[in-house]
Amino acid sequence: MAILSVVLAMLLSTGLAAAHAVAEGDKGYIQEITGIHLIPFMYLGAKHMVTGYDHLLFLLGVVFFLYRLQHIAIYVSLFAIGHSTTMILGVWFGWNVSSYLIDAIIGLSVVYKALDNLGAYQRWFGYQPNTKLATLIFGFFHGLGLATKILEYDIAQEGLLPNLLAFNVGVEIGQLIALAMILIMMGYWRRTDSFWKHAYTANVLMMTAGFVLIGYQLTGYFVA
Amino acid sequence: MYNSDTPTRAELPTSAQLLKSTAVAIFAAAAILVAIVLPSEYGIDPTGAGRLLRLTEMGEIKTQLAEEAEQDRIRDQPNVVPAFAPAPSPAKPLQGSGLLDRIYAEFLVGRAQAQETRSDEMSVTLAPGEGAEIKLVMVKGAQANFAWTANGAAVNFDTHGDGGGENISYEKGRGVADDEGVLEAAFDGNHGWFWRNRTDAPVTVTLKTNGAYSEIKRMM
Repeated sequence: MAILSVVLAMLLSTGLAAAHAVAEGDKGYIQEITGIHLIPFMYLGAKHMVTGYDHLLFLLGVVFFLYRLQHIAIYVSLFAIGHSTTMILGVWFGWNVSSYLIDAIIGLSVVYKALDNLGAYQRWFGYQPNTKLATLIFGFFHGLGLATKILEYDIAQEGLLPNLLAFNVGVEIGQLIALAMILIMMGYWRRTDSFWKHAYTANVLMMTAGFVLIGYQLTGYFVA
Repeated sequence: MYNSDTPTRAELPTSAQLLKSTAVAIFAAAAILVAIVLPSEYGIDPTGAGRLLRLTEMGEIKTQLAEEAEQDRIRDQPNVVPAFAPAPSPAKPLQGSGLLDRIYAEFLVGRAQAQETRSDEMSVTLAPGEGAEIKLVMVKGAQANFAWTANGAAVNFDTHGDGGGENISYEKGRGVADDEGVLEAAFDGNHGWFWRNRTDAPVTVTLKTNGAYSEIKRMM
């Protein structure tokens, strides 16, 4: 036990020993700048979306059985309205929600959508919950998740609102880029005869990933 | 899978459409990579688009921060892993020298507490992107009055201290023109200021201090 605490202390001191403790990467960059930087914040928003596997999984779930462009547009817009609202409100009012809990709910959104795609709610309850409403509500939670990440970035107060709006525009651009990639892959896949056979398995795998996300984040909540 | 209508074969994209989409995606990705991602992440900007969009600055700052963090890690290594540290004087056993240093430090510290206060004024000029650090050698609880100004410009700053394996950040700020107050050392060691010029012109920072410290030095 004593050895463990010594090792821990050493590890901690390594982290802290850095002179004037600079953060690196995106966070470090944001902490170095003040004022309005629209295009850099758009870039960061898009990057967040394209590299955020939890958002991508949910998006995949949403468009899995959508193939008409106008349907895709409706669902993606609902999701965008949802996450934009809570992202901007959350950062503006500094809602201090645990990112672990929010990310666990995002994992839950993946599980929910996978079960929805599998037709589980109709089979179990003989009832189909409103898919559009669910997309909007989970959009709210995804936005809260974005807000907690941005709060961790510690953006300067000067130029906060324009930078946030630019970040949000970037999130939408990133979402469209991710969506384009997903739709192209789905296009090839849907054309194969085995699509309907594999669709079931794919949604089960997606649900598994959602459960892993939930467990990962909840463990973080209790351990960290 | 009840909440979906099975599309007919004719409703699905044709093979030609899909191939065209894939080609478009590859071209778009290449353009995004060269014009946006490489400038933003690494400061590599072959087309000049990144500079135009003010993204190259982000890549340059990230690269600079990564290099500085790496230098910090290298500098800190001897403290963390004494076995690999080059011994300052091989004749003396490492642990003993550490202990002696401590005793000397305590002794000097005792004298420092007794000494008169002093006052100084220092100026440093920072090129765009450059950082500088000035520290006061202080004992725990000692106080020093300070006032610094960026002489009409603005800098980022971090008022902090380190010593004896401890680190503290008293205050941080971005785009600040000046600051003044009383610095009280939280422990024995070096306490002072790190400034960085993130404007695109040179900035001169002038620091005035007076109080209970034994030495003022520019660290970087």
